[in-house]
Amino acid sequence: MGSDVFEITVNLVKMLFIFLLMVQLVPVLVWVERRGSAFIQSRFGPNRVGPLGLTQLLADAVKFLMKEEFVPAQGKKLLFYLAPAIALVPGAVAFGSIPLSCPVHIQRFLMLQHWWGPYDFEFQSFHFGVGIVFVLGISSLGAYALLLAGWGSANKFSLMGALRASAQMISYELALGLSLVGAILIYGTFDFTEMIAQQAQVFNFELLGHAFHLRKYGILMQPIGAILYFSSIFAETNRLPFDLPEAEGELVVGYHTEYGGLKMLMFYIGEYGHMMVGSALFVTFYLGGYTIPLLTTTQINNLFLSMGAGPNVISILTALVFHVAFFAKVLFLLWVFVWVRWTLPRFRYDQLMDLGWKTMLPWSLANVIVTAVVVAYVRSK
Amino acid sequence: MDISTIIFIILATIIVVSSVSVLMTPNPIYAAFSLAITMVTMGFLYFSLDADFIAGVQLIVYAGAVMVLFVMVLMLFDLEKETEAYSKGTFSVFLKLMCGLFLTGAVALSVRQSIKGLSDVAKVATPAEQVETIKLLAGRLFTQYVFAFEALGVLLLVIAIGVVAVARSRGGTHARH
Repeated sequence: MGSDVFEITVNLVKMLFIFLLMVQLVPVLVWVERRGSAFIQSRFGPNRVGPLGLTQLLADAVKFLMKEEFVPAQGKKLLFYLAPAIALVPGAVAFGSIPLSCPVHIQRFLMLQHWWGPYDFEFQSFHFGVGIVFVLGISSLGAYALLLAGWGSANKFSLMGALRASAQMISYELALGLSLVGAILIYGTFDFTEMIAQQAQVFNFELLGHAFHLRKYGILMQPIGAILYFSSIFAETNRLPFDLPEAEGELVVGYHTEYGGLKMLMFYIGEYGHMMVGSALFVTFYLGGYTIPLLTTTQINNLFLSMGAGPNVISILTALVFHVAFFAKVLFLLWVFVWVRWTLPRFRYDQLMDLGWKTMLPWSLANVIVTAVVVAYVRSK
Repeated sequence: MDISTIIFIILATIIVVSSVSVLMTPNPIYAAFSLAITMVTMGFLYFSLDADFIAGVQLIVYAGAVMVLFVMVLMLFDLEKETEAYSKGTFSVFLKLMCGLFLTGAVALSVRQSIKGLSDVAKVATPAEQVETIKLLAGRLFTQYVFAFEALGVLLLVIAIGVVAVARSRGGTHARH
């Protein structure tokens, strides 16, 4: 946590900030989803409450709070209330261990007649050496929320949704994990910060008489892995074209049929949290994390130095610039989620299983083997 | 008492309570959920011991995959009535408690025998050291113990093929008539 009061306080505030960042992004995403779907389907979408329908969400929140408390008569009360709370946890915890920007370095300073520092603050809630293993482990617990909800509701539709959800999540977790292995082999580490540092390196080559300087972004080294990973997070987050756990044409709304009001909202927050973790992982693994193409840390530092800022201010401002870059990438991927949802139709269940086990799993295995051979050859040279 | 002791006591209490309730609940689904809680808490106990990799693997494999499958299968067959006939009543509770205590005693005895004479193992703390341990683990697994590792893999494959063979002969999801 830290060695003195200042460091502990900053770390606690940081944890709270990152959690609130995740939760507060959800209303924005709901708005983007509604307006985006309307845009894609040539409709207007919510546009009456406030400018561009932005305050519709505030009205919705009030509606959710005022709704009647309701538990099915045959339902298991404990499980029914526990499920939405559990749905929130995996996304929030996993998101905290992904670095959202470069570390902030604070030099020694005088405050309240006492010298503090020097400090190094990482732009993440907690730093595990095995970052990706931790994130995959925590996100795999998301299936329990759906199972508890499906069983606790005492409803056939809910149960069917929960069973579909757990089978789907287990199946696609394999493809998801294996598609990341290729990238992990190249970086040779589980640590997010090191992965990003490696992607910041530049490799130079010449093609058709032009000299190119490209960052070693994961998507250039592992294109197949990137595609497989991106498709399997759609299945992991239960979104179209893989939203069979909800499938409103067949199962009412699947595992959360019996839920209303704030409890349903918590499932939504959990789903969007999962999407954010998936997108943030994609950015960290394949799009260079918080780095900016064509712009190095030194250049940004020099820019702020020429404005006459002190070393601490420079460090904080640089971290903020990288943070904005990171979020720009994440927000673009989240828009792709919305885009795909309102473009593609739903898979049939046997097609979904065939795609997961017979197509994506062999491809990701082949990707791992080819990558391993190439990495072994390059390192032995 | 420092903070790591307090965390250990909290985690250990949750593990003991949930694993006892695995035995004591007559409903198989609640038992499976209790086992899942035990698995997750074990993962966090490993985290508190700085064994990050093992903790992550525990969460992915046991809590995330094995227990989810257990719960799913138990939900498919609603066994409440059938199992209550077996698992209710003083005699069966007594039997379960005795079996549990016997196993606990055997495990505790063997652990005590095996750690005798071992000094405190050096702790690894920083993320960089953690990465080194994983590399060490991988090196051992793929050189020294590669035969055992591969044999286990083949064993799992045999089980998977056996299950598919059994399920197909009775007409599984892809059966052709």
